[in-house]
Amino acid sequence: MAQPTSPPAEPAVADEAAPGRTDGSDAAGLGRLRAALFVTPALLIIGVFLVFPALWTLYLGVTDYRLTGIAAARPSFVGFANYVRALTDPLFHNALWLTLLFVFGSAIIGQTVLGFGLAWTLRSAPRWVRGTVESLVLLAWILPGVVVAFLWIALLDSDRGTLNALLGTAGHAWLVDNPMTVLIVFNTWRGTAFSMMLFAAALAALPPSQLETARLAGASGWQTVRDVVLPHLRRHLLTNTLLISLWTFNDFTPYLITAGNPDHRSEVLPVYIYLTAIPGGQLGFGSAISLLMLVINLALAFFYLRLLRERRS
Amino acid sequence: MMPPVFTPAAFVRRIGFYVLVGLVAAFFAIPLLWLLTAPFDTTPAYGVQVPDFTLGNFRTLLANEQAMISLGESVILALGSMAVTVGGAALAAYALSRVAVPGRGALLYLLLLLSSVVTGTTAMVPIFLLMFEAGLIDSRAGVVLVMTGGLLPAAIFILKDFMDATPRSYEESARVFGARPLQILWHVVVPITRPGLATIAVWATVQVWGNFLVPFILFTDPAKQPAAVIMHTFYTEGGQPKLALISAFSLLYSAPVVAMYVFVSRRYGFRFHGGIKR
Amino acid sequence: MSEIELTGLRKVFEGGVRAVDGIDLTVADGEFFALLGPSGCGKTTLLRTVAGLESADGGTIAIGGDDVTRLSPGDRDVAMVFQDYALFPHMSVVENIAYPQRVKRVPKAERQAAAAAVGADLELAGLMDRRPGQLSGGQQQRVALARAVAARPRVFLFDEPLSNLDARLRLSARTFLKRLQRELAVTTVFVTHDQAEALALADRIAVMEAGRIRQVGTPQEVFRRPANTFVANFIGSTPMNLLPGVAVEGGVTVAGVRLPAAHSVAAGTELVVGFRPEYATASAEDLPGALPGRVAIVEHLGTSLLLTLESGDLAVGVTVPEDAEPAPGTSLWVQPRPDRLLLYDAGGGDIIEA
Repeated sequence: MAQPTSPPAEPAVADEAAPGRTDGSDAAGLGRLRAALFVTPALLIIGVFLVFPALWTLYLGVTDYRLTGIAAARPSFVGFANYVRALTDPLFHNALWLTLLFVFGSAIIGQTVLGFGLAWTLRSAPRWVRGTVESLVLLAWILPGVVVAFLWIALLDSDRGTLNALLGTAGHAWLVDNPMTVLIVFNTWRGTAFSMMLFAAALAALPPSQLETARLAGASGWQTVRDVVLPHLRRHLLTNTLLISLWTFNDFTPYLITAGNPDHRSEVLPVYIYLTAIPGGQLGFGSAISLLMLVINLALAFFYLRLLRERRS
Repeated sequence: MMPPVFTPAAFVRRIGFYVLVGLVAAFFAIPLLWLLTAPFDTTPAYGVQVPDFTLGNFRTLLANEQAMISLGESVILALGSMAVTVGGAALAAYALSRVAVPGRGALLYLLLLLSSVVTGTTAMVPIFLLMFEAGLIDSRAGVVLVMTGGLLPAAIFILKDFMDATPRSYEESARVFGARPLQILWHVVVPITRPGLATIAVWATVQVWGNFLVPFILFTDPAKQPAAVIMHTFYTEGGQPKLALISAFSLLYSAPVVAMYVFVSRRYGFRFHGGIKR
Repeated sequence: MSEIELTGLRKVFEGGVRAVDGIDLTVADGEFFALLGPSGCGKTTLLRTVAGLESADGGTIAIGGDDVTRLSPGDRDVAMVFQDYALFPHMSVVENIAYPQRVKRVPKAERQAAAAAVGADLELAGLMDRRPGQLSGGQQQRVALARAVAARPRVFLFDEPLSNLDARLRLSARTFLKRLQRELAVTTVFVTHDQAEALALADRIAVMEAGRIRQVGTPQEVFRRPANTFVANFIGSTPMNLLPGVAVEGGVTVAGVRLPAAHSVAAGTELVVGFRPEYATASAEDLPGALPGRVAIVEHLGTSLLLTLESGDLAVGVTVPEDAEPAPGTSLWVQPRPDRLLLYDAGGGDIIEA
């Protein structure tokens, strides 16, 4: 590859993929051919293991694909039967409703409000207070899902759990009596870090002169937040809401805590799909529901991307 | 700026502030406490209690072959996926950052869309079926590829941002001195983008290390299941949960994640990339 | 021999911007040559095209008689110093300087010895093991120069080599650069937007505007006799007076005052009369060939003062010695030196030869 840098008699163009046509931004002189080669492995993996499965749900959703039996060997076309069944299945309605509760309660209300509250109050707190609280919130976010799930199972245990000991409610079976409330509080605990950091970064970018102007005008804390801070954060608020809604909507951690129990009372969509399709073996029907989720994801993501674009332009 | 005035009202507000912060801190701390106490307790229970100190739980853990093998499996899966993700994403991000490939804008847009839309949950059924049909159930390489496929779009996107922010004059300078594209990549681009590569490497490792769903559906052979799945087996299998084992296992399994986060934020400063978590 | 010869060189960017628009230029062997112009004039693009970092859309580039137009940058035997120096942050100073040799697969010990020698020549001896981030701006600039020198190229290309230094350091770095170029006697092209830098350093200067060369000449030629009003405006630390005039037999009239000047234009032709504030004298009494005016603004330039006079609708600049500061409002007469008076075409702005 390396050639001596002497005046060559013949142009050493063989090394350039597109000699004399290298783009001004192509700083290393990669050339189009090599660039294409560089992109290929990643695109191949994404294509096979991400794009293909997503598109395949389109086909699977209109078949009666099963894991075992005749339909496993020769799945047949069933048209929109799976979708009709989904839309009339009370368990699907139940899962959809619980998922809405989960997203609304833990993401839109819980994480956003707590995250903003923490970012706002910790802004002016002493360094060590801020460091400690932030570390705790972050820790809840970064620990593996299986571990935090068990931590909450232990916390909520009816006989010896710490929560019952603290509240003096010995014997209360939180996971049986209030499974959705538990999941919502759990996910608020688990995911607040993201909102907190996003809002903290946004607040750090708020010009101090604006806050000082409000103070000089005699605004109270709440007035300052309402009149100066929130308008400034509107974009971030929207970004945050969309992202955490998307993630919460797709979160599989509830399976690790309640697994949909008791009696489907905490069976959010991801858990419902898993139970139906994999242990239940109804792959075609599970695919139809996956596709419905995908469409909802797509709607949220499009909304988010349009927002990003507006910001860039 | 006004001078601080300690009126009684301000004093009460201050107390209220600390009570509030204290309550929030307790909310986040209490569930975590068990992870600090139980692993060192001779008789760990569900509740948090002052431990009767012992390291015996860790001896129990080390003696448990299934747990130790699963940690090894986690290491293989995490490092394997990390290597493929960083390699694939770095090459792709560099080419996309520096060469005007036709349709580059659309491709990046699509990647961003994919990375947020096609989640493990929505893709679990077709992926399970794909791997089933391809005979890749219980295949480590299969799980590595599935994990990598999910991580690559975000990794490419973040690395491309990172590379876009790196001045081109470094590469141009090397190029004028006669370095060939691959030399430039190795001598200049990789060392200069190392913080970005390290961030992505840690991020990918943590993602795979903690992932439960993918290995849960793609491994049926307990001997190949990583720690996330085995840990779940431990606390869902019948009978009295072995808290000594579970507590020590939880701590050992969590420690690398915390260590890696601390490493990245110490070494490279915490860069806030929207959605780096998933 | 390593002169640079550009013939009909063109570079058009996407969207049709002609950054380099048909340039013919020869830089002599060993010459220190400046490309000067306002930002966006195409001077940096021209330099990058010579380096091979931009591909030419037309025309040819020859270095030492070899056509290099289609060669990749590494095969052109040039070394470039970038505006931001582009020192590799992960390599020590000695590794940076040795990098061109590393690319050429020179053994490590040999290239490091060579780098140390070059570094010592450039007053970097004690800094060889540091990282670029631990150096001052002036030291970084010298490392970048040393790296270029260590490549032993036929041509140096410098992109704004002094612009990242603070004003005080820039003067000493300028002297250093000129001495270095003299000693090495390597053909050097540098880009600058600072006319004082170009005048101070270069053997010859090309003044560029919108992708074209408006004048090529020695600093003296460009300063004394700008070929057009664009160059006249751009060169000089004080703005040249460019006043509307009318040709008369053996001279011109400006605001009714007759100034002697040799020309071959028909009487009655409108033209632009140019003279530098430094090439005029101010006096308290009316002299022949002097423009009357009242002092409006006085600016201190150090050893001299720049006066701006209002003369009817015109503003006329003149420099006077520092100890003769007139009060604003004073009436003065400004007499341009007849041998430094320049006449330009009122339409195209080109100089009118005597």
